[in-house]
Amino acid sequence: MNKQEKEQYLRDYGTLKSQGKPFFPYAVAKDSAMAIVVMAVIIAMSIVLGAELGPKADPTSTTYTPRPEWYFFFLFELLKVIKPPALVPLATIGVPTICLILLFLLPFYDRGPERRPERRPIATTAGIFVVCAIGYLTYLGAAAGPPTEIDIPIPANVSSQGPEAVANFEAGSQVVAQSGCAACHRFGENGNSGPGPALTNIGARLPAQAIQRTLLNPSAPMPSFSALSEESPKQFAQMVGFLAALK
Amino acid sequence: MADRKEPKSKYTVDRKTPGAFEGETVTRRRAMVVAGQAAGGVAAAAFVLPALGFAMGPIFEKQDQPWQPVGKVDEFNDESYVPRTITLVEGIGDAGKSTVYIRKYNPDLDTEPRDEYNSYIAISTLCMHLGCPVRFTAAAQRFICPCHGGVYDIVGKVSGGPPVRPLDRFYTQLEKDAVLIGPRFSVNSELRRFSPRDPGEPLDGVGQYLYPSRPSMRKIQGT
Amino acid sequence: MAKIKLPAPPSNPLSSPKRPGKKYGPTGPLGHAEEAGLTAVGWIDERTSLSGGLRWAMFRKVPKGTNWFYTLGSATMFAFLSQAVTGVFLAMYYEPSATRAYESIRYINNEVFLGEFVHGMHRWGSSVMVILIFLHMGRTFFFGAYKYPRELNWVIGVALLVMTMTMSFSGYLLPFDQRSYWATIVGVNINGTGPLVGPYLSEFLRAGPYFGATTLSRFYAIHMLMVPGAIAALMGFHLYLVAKLGTTAPPWIKAKGPEELREDEVTVER
Repeated sequence: MNKQEKEQYLRDYGTLKSQGKPFFPYAVAKDSAMAIVVMAVIIAMSIVLGAELGPKADPTSTTYTPRPEWYFFFLFELLKVIKPPALVPLATIGVPTICLILLFLLPFYDRGPERRPERRPIATTAGIFVVCAIGYLTYLGAAAGPPTEIDIPIPANVSSQGPEAVANFEAGSQVVAQSGCAACHRFGENGNSGPGPALTNIGARLPAQAIQRTLLNPSAPMPSFSALSEESPKQFAQMVGFLAALK
Repeated sequence: MADRKEPKSKYTVDRKTPGAFEGETVTRRRAMVVAGQAAGGVAAAAFVLPALGFAMGPIFEKQDQPWQPVGKVDEFNDESYVPRTITLVEGIGDAGKSTVYIRKYNPDLDTEPRDEYNSYIAISTLCMHLGCPVRFTAAAQRFICPCHGGVYDIVGKVSGGPPVRPLDRFYTQLEKDAVLIGPRFSVNSELRRFSPRDPGEPLDGVGQYLYPSRPSMRKIQGT
Repeated sequence: MAKIKLPAPPSNPLSSPKRPGKKYGPTGPLGHAEEAGLTAVGWIDERTSLSGGLRWAMFRKVPKGTNWFYTLGSATMFAFLSQAVTGVFLAMYYEPSATRAYESIRYINNEVFLGEFVHGMHRWGSSVMVILIFLHMGRTFFFGAYKYPRELNWVIGVALLVMTMTMSFSGYLLPFDQRSYWATIVGVNINGTGPLVGPYLSEFLRAGPYFGATTLSRFYAIHMLMVPGAIAALMGFHLYLVAKLGTTAPPWIKAKGPEELREDEVTVER
């Protein structure tokens, strides 16, 4: 904004202001009504959702899946999106710091006199993009279950084969979950999308024999499950059966 | 207008000194400014510096990591890990404990040279991505982190996901037939020992200089 | 010698000439109470001259077209006040020690009268405050309200956003359950991944190489003394600038030219 534009703005603003109403009581009434809404929301949330306290902090746990408060989900998910180890500091510190600096300096690089959002296409597009990106990452963070649990509805072709097949399917799901497969593979809503491929409908792509071959002789970095097949052939069979039923 | 103005000092009349009064000289003004700023600075430093030092103190304090027994020799084998709970910080109960995975040195798996501190391998359960708890999954022979999909092989080297270095380890020693666990140390991808670093801090290449070791914890000299 | 301007003798700014036809002096208990109140306010104002500033802040005009979007800032401040008050009362029962914190929160939840309610208000109030501060920032961004002459107020606002996030992060540890502990471990390690200074920063937050005896009290001091004090101070400055520069009008509202104004709408300020 040059000097002339500044003067123009101040003049226009002065006119608008002189046509306005006094802050007290007109704006204060609106603010107070909003304050009541805010308090009503907080009190309702407190009554409905309570202040649930989880189990006591246990640093010796090896089964707990840490998750941040929901408004940090987008930062947490960013760490899943940026995977290579060399880029970890970029995901943890780099991107948030750059975004914050851009946010701080916004009035210093966006100096045009125009204020209407529809006449500032770059700023408005960038703003909407950031809102969508944060919203999408927050959604991903909220939807992802911990990879130590696999929660998949029983497929129709399994439930039609009677209760024994259902029991086998559920036992296989248990074995897969406890073996940590979901740390690298995605199963529907559960698990991480990478490094391994999604297994949500692996049964449609590979027959049971091929799945068994891959489990015994995988390509790196996937571990071999030959130890499991020797120690507990039943569990191994349940694992293969579960994966083959995912269609 | 002119007659209501205070008569300017002849020493400062052409200097536009704010608040100048009759008889004020440049040197006197300057002396008072410097004295005021210096005295104020000293007074402020007198409370800011001790407070900062008080808050920063723990960074430069060396923490003792006493050796503690975790079990008898025959409780551990050289093929799979046995979890044991150790105390990292005394006096705060469960909050100061941690789990380590212990197994015997196995020449088929372990490539690093044998010395007095690694007849047993003790592996920390903090993921080296950001410190989530990892678990050893016997079926997969892998350490698996639930947070962002970090996977480590049986000696703790990264085999997938975002972790930046292998899992941290602890020094171990033998005392008669008891296994003792000592201080923690970090390793790079060749399992060379470094002073302990926090998760997320790589040690390969320039990493060890970008993420310096801290005075509070050091590896045992010469190992 | 310079001429000295002497102050005018003080007068009670609230005393006004009596209306004609009214009896002299207050009548009835209500009248006496009103008189007493006015005297007290007048006494304070005679010594502080606060009424001028108050009049300046309260009776300034807000521009035409001010709508409900403009209540988001004050709503954020209101959520902060709610957090401050509930936080003070939680602090009466809370013990920031690694061995006692969890039990004291459980005591608040289970034994204290309205304990879980106040705890819940503090907990969900933080979510509400974060949502409101983002909405307020979104309004400022899309209305172009950060532009001249309000650049500095935007910078202060971003600083307030960062501090609010710091509050969320440091408060998350205090209940000391599994979720708080591990989220804090991860958060501190995220700070540690900054090159060169990161390792020292995470060690400063933990007060040592491990999560130790004083980590919790350190987070507690940050959460309830350091950051809230800074937030209150910056919020005051933020509000002062809002009052001084005025709230913006929605960008699509155009000022009427002088020729379109009725005569009684024009006053020349000098």
